[in-house]
Amino acid sequence: MKLRQGSFLWYLYLDKIYCLLSVRNVKALVEYFHLLDAHHNNTLNDVLFYHFLKHVTNLRGTQIKIVFDMLDWNAVGEIGFDQFYVLVCILLSHQNHLEEQFMYRHSRPVFDLLDLDGELRIAASNFHTYRFLFNIKKQELKELFHDFDITGDRRLNYKEFKLYTIFSIDKSQERQKAEREKENEKQKEREKEKGKEKWKSLLLRRMSRKVGVSPESHLEKMRIEI
Amino acid sequence: MEEKPFKVSVKPPERRSSGQASPHDIRNLWTTATLSQSQLNLPLAELCESFEEEGGAVRHAAAAWHSPESRWELGEQGAALADGASVESGALDAELRRESSLESCLEEGDDESKTTTESSLVSVLRVSKHTPHRAYWTEQQNRLPLPLMGLMENEALEILTKALHSYRREIGRGHFLTKELRRYIEGLKRRRGKRFQVSAN
Repeated sequence: MKLRQGSFLWYLYLDKIYCLLSVRNVKALVEYFHLLDAHHNNTLNDVLFYHFLKHVTNLRGTQIKIVFDMLDWNAVGEIGFDQFYVLVCILLSHQNHLEEQFMYRHSRPVFDLLDLDGELRIAASNFHTYRFLFNIKKQELKELFHDFDITGDRRLNYKEFKLYTIFSIDKSQERQKAEREKENEKQKEREKEKGKEKWKSLLLRRMSRKVGVSPESHLEKMRIEI
Repeated sequence: MEEKPFKVSVKPPERRSSGQASPHDIRNLWTTATLSQSQLNLPLAELCESFEEEGGAVRHAAAAWHSPESRWELGEQGAALADGASVESGALDAELRRESSLESCLEEGDDESKTTTESSLVSVLRVSKHTPHRAYWTEQQNRLPLPLMGLMENEALEILTKALHSYRREIGRGHFLTKELRRYIEGLKRRRGKRFQVSAN
């Protein structure tokens, strides 16, 4: 799932720690919502919502309908600003690769969204339906239920879900750390190579100045000196 | 119970640090919209002192505050106002009261007061031309940047036009929702057209 480049949402950004919009961003979002609210109900009906998501993301029609059903938690057939705000935060967290952080920070609202039946438990099928929103792969979902379904009822209650979010954020931090270390190592290697090349070019310059000295003997001399 | 702040990677998000942002990028306008205005903030006490004796500039402030857009913005920004803004509104209330007292003086038809107020109005106008008005800049700071408004309106128009096609296909042209949406889109286009004309002038 990607946001359309150059769309209005593309210019918004989440706070990296709390995964929420700033007041200025919310103000702009309110204005945007009111622009889309063509019928002056302070809501978006399913058609407006569909075309909005179709325009700003690359989601398929079926996925958009699924998202609408998830957000229409009052089953009134319309989306209010609260739900719209949650959706925008989810989209932006996905865009900025902050899905784990978002689920950790807002575990309760996310749990309530995924708990479609209101049973205070998330079934694997529900999680599977909405995993595209949080960038969770199939294999990861299987492991999730295997590792965190402590009660063994093949569903996640809120505590199990919270535990999952804590572990997943730790994992993502370790991953980030490992990536940073890799990059640092690559950087060091590049600098080493640059240093070697500089040394070689210096050598060649010296050799070109000295006449009648073979490159190998000169290299030996340089090595000894060093 | 709740979460400790995590050490988040310092690297900024790619799309904001991609280096693709040009000088004309809307994001530059969005984030720097108020930078120029912040330099023009005068201490409120200074401004109020200059308006205490003369009340002419208050009419200008009152007109700005009572426009429909500023009323909406005042309502929206209620929770986000800093302490300074509440002081500003109190100062403006005082100015409005002074204005009404000034108007009553004018109505009495006192020659002396007329001449003094006229001369004071002239001096206030001269002052107001050179002194940025606090209420004006506060309103400007609370407005969304025009390029952003333009982007939002254009996008909303595209989305709503597609929605209108769906309405016509599914519920027909004669349905009241279709008509309402069509009227709304036309209104939006007119508003956008007016804004283009104003910016062109």
